[in-house]
Amino acid sequence: MSEESKRITQRPVPLSRIMVNEQTAKVYEDALETKKRGERIAWSTAIYVQEICETLGVPVLYPENHSAALAAKHYGEDLIQYAEGNMRYPMNICSYARINFAFADKLKDPNYEWPSPAMPLPDLLLLANNSCVQLTKWYQNLSDTLGVPAFFIDMLYNFTEEKASAYKVKYIRTQIEEAITALEAFIGRKFDWDKFSEIQKRSALNNKLFKEIIALNVHKPAPLNGFDLFNYMAPMVICRGKESTTDILLQLKKEVEENIKNNTSTYPVDQEHRVFWEGIACWPCMRHNLKTLRNLGINAVTNGYVTAWDINYEPTNLDGMAAAYNFASTNSKSTPTVARLRSDLIKKFGCKGMICHVNKSCKVMDFHVFGGRDLIQKYTGVPIVNFDGDQGDSRSYSEAQFETRIQGLAEIMKQNKEGNHA
Amino acid sequence: MRSVNAIIQELDRIVSHPRVMLEKYLGKGKKVVGCFPIYIPEELVHAGGMIPMGIWGGQVSPAIAGKYSPTFTCSIMRSCMEFGLTGKYQGLSCVLLSVLCDTFRGTSQSWRIGVKDIPIIPFIQPQNRESKAAKEYLIAEYRSVRNRLEEITGCKITDHALSKSIEVYNRHNQTMREFAEVANEHLDVVSAKNRHAVMKSSHFMEKAEHTGIVQELIAGLKALPVCEWKGKKVILTGITAEPNELLDIFTANKIAVVGDDLAQESRQFRTDIPDGDNPMERLTDQWFLRKGCSLVFESHRCRGDMLINQLKENNADGIVVCLMKFCDIEEYEYPIIAQQIEDAGYPTLCIEIDQSTQDNEQSRTKIQSFTEMINDRRP
Repeated sequence: MSEESKRITQRPVPLSRIMVNEQTAKVYEDALETKKRGERIAWSTAIYVQEICETLGVPVLYPENHSAALAAKHYGEDLIQYAEGNMRYPMNICSYARINFAFADKLKDPNYEWPSPAMPLPDLLLLANNSCVQLTKWYQNLSDTLGVPAFFIDMLYNFTEEKASAYKVKYIRTQIEEAITALEAFIGRKFDWDKFSEIQKRSALNNKLFKEIIALNVHKPAPLNGFDLFNYMAPMVICRGKESTTDILLQLKKEVEENIKNNTSTYPVDQEHRVFWEGIACWPCMRHNLKTLRNLGINAVTNGYVTAWDINYEPTNLDGMAAAYNFASTNSKSTPTVARLRSDLIKKFGCKGMICHVNKSCKVMDFHVFGGRDLIQKYTGVPIVNFDGDQGDSRSYSEAQFETRIQGLAEIMKQNKEGNHA
Repeated sequence: MRSVNAIIQELDRIVSHPRVMLEKYLGKGKKVVGCFPIYIPEELVHAGGMIPMGIWGGQVSPAIAGKYSPTFTCSIMRSCMEFGLTGKYQGLSCVLLSVLCDTFRGTSQSWRIGVKDIPIIPFIQPQNRESKAAKEYLIAEYRSVRNRLEEITGCKITDHALSKSIEVYNRHNQTMREFAEVANEHLDVVSAKNRHAVMKSSHFMEKAEHTGIVQELIAGLKALPVCEWKGKKVILTGITAEPNELLDIFTANKIAVVGDDLAQESRQFRTDIPDGDNPMERLTDQWFLRKGCSLVFESHRCRGDMLINQLKENNADGIVVCLMKFCDIEEYEYPIIAQQIEDAGYPTLCIEIDQSTQDNEQSRTKIQSFTEMINDRRP
């Protein structure tokens, strides 16, 4: 179907999106203000035990989120060039890291005109390597070059489908306790265990709400453009333990339910195909992704990435918390586990195809894509296409390849649909 | 007594044809366990009366590994997958893999799914070595490896045998360090390629056997007159420095290798297993003593200082960073250590190591330019 034949429904920006933008802006403003007062702020990996610094009242910023934002606004190209040229980082390492290394280096220059969002330099680093091992090296380099300490919680890759043994959980739990003690001393504030418990409960509530919202997209037509979920991840990444996130999610849930009631959607055209999206968004090329999918009436109703913050544990149970964080990321799970989870979602959401982003910056996820493909096809029978890209470096992405692959998928899904009706 | 050249030729043959060694041990009724790079507690395998054998891929352009390994993953692991999928490792009872990087995470899964006839035992050493829980964790993790090895191979691993194997490995480490020192007195004989053959062959031989041959080599070298090396001297750092054709370029440019910080070579031998009563604890303690390696987290990274010390101690002219293509762990370290070394007044050269190509022309040009530069720097 041609682009002209699609009737695009323009809608006002929903209140929930405005609330997300306001919350994000406030997080960065608060960090800047804190820094100006001479107090300490942290940079953190995306799936660190955020409950600790939330309890201590330390503002935390997330370089992965920040790099994604810069990449989406096309500031990434210059920063990547700087990291590779001036700083000698090879182009093979994670593009979020390259953007962040360049940004951090440029921040040392008082005359540097910061791209928005403005992220001040950290006084401490919070490192958990559940998402990948590259994070360990990234933060080790930041710690060396910025001269700030890294509070490290070493997570363990789950290479089988079995639950982590007690001795592994004990290692991680002990590190959480040690991080609390060390941060308490570094920040100079007493750790309030009651507040910690409240933040754990708040985080659990936000997690539950986010899961409920994702699940609402099983409706047909899906009330959300699946790509919206990438944008609504921001509160879960940077403010998972905050009440403002609860407010956003309640508002979003209301809007989604309203869409279901009215049989409307944020997806702007008729939804002819429902697919599953695997992998992180191609932030610098997202507009092209969306346009290509929209032209063919394809809604990627859900994706694996948004489940990465699905961290379930009983508040006050530190062992449970340790085990949950160790299992949180797609990249901490075995390929058969990921294939099973994805297959279940494909069936639950009625997806008729799968699009896999072979993201040059995210090797573990790519191994899942390659190794898990046969398993997912066996479990679900849906056609799967891969395309080459990157979460932050547009050089790895080819518009022509993406279009060709998606057109091919749409053709197969169309034939499958017609075959089923025959 | 064999000549030095005869010994080196034998070791070079072993490096070029590790399959011959595998067949030899299998023919003697031994069980052989494959050991992926980089830090495997081989002593557990040895204590079970088995042969730990290194699997470090090889120069191959992968034809089928791409089904499981993206093209932008490290070439060693892609060639290991290729060999695993094409039956080159047949005969191994199982393989051991320490999951220290993202490609190891992925390969632990690809191997399970793709290479069904050789079981894999993955495990992880703790990176937060400052945690008080790290040692207890690693003892339990190594116990789990030991149990799986016993289950799969049927071989019994006793504490007594483990203590004996630890002594074998410590003696081997000391011998290899002595070889590295003695070799520097005979750089006319121990070229970059020959040095590599001695180092790498250790991965394909039972360690006591290898110790014996290297001691014979050391005795042979000591009997030769000391060489006054007129060329330049470098230290290699990285994961591996291969193939031989690449190493020959150094020799052609009158450059000798007088030390290394390669994962395949000296990083294997520089940390002994400390004394103690409990062999499992001793084996664990070794992990906490490792220093200056990109795969081992340090809150105060000392690799740069170690390299600068090596430069000074060996009166070397520069550092050659042998950057494994698509090894992100080393790629993160490269800018940091290169800067540190250059700040100390030494030049660095970065060459790419890629097992998927035979083309060394880019490295040849870089090494030639580097030679000219260091020739201009110092008389």
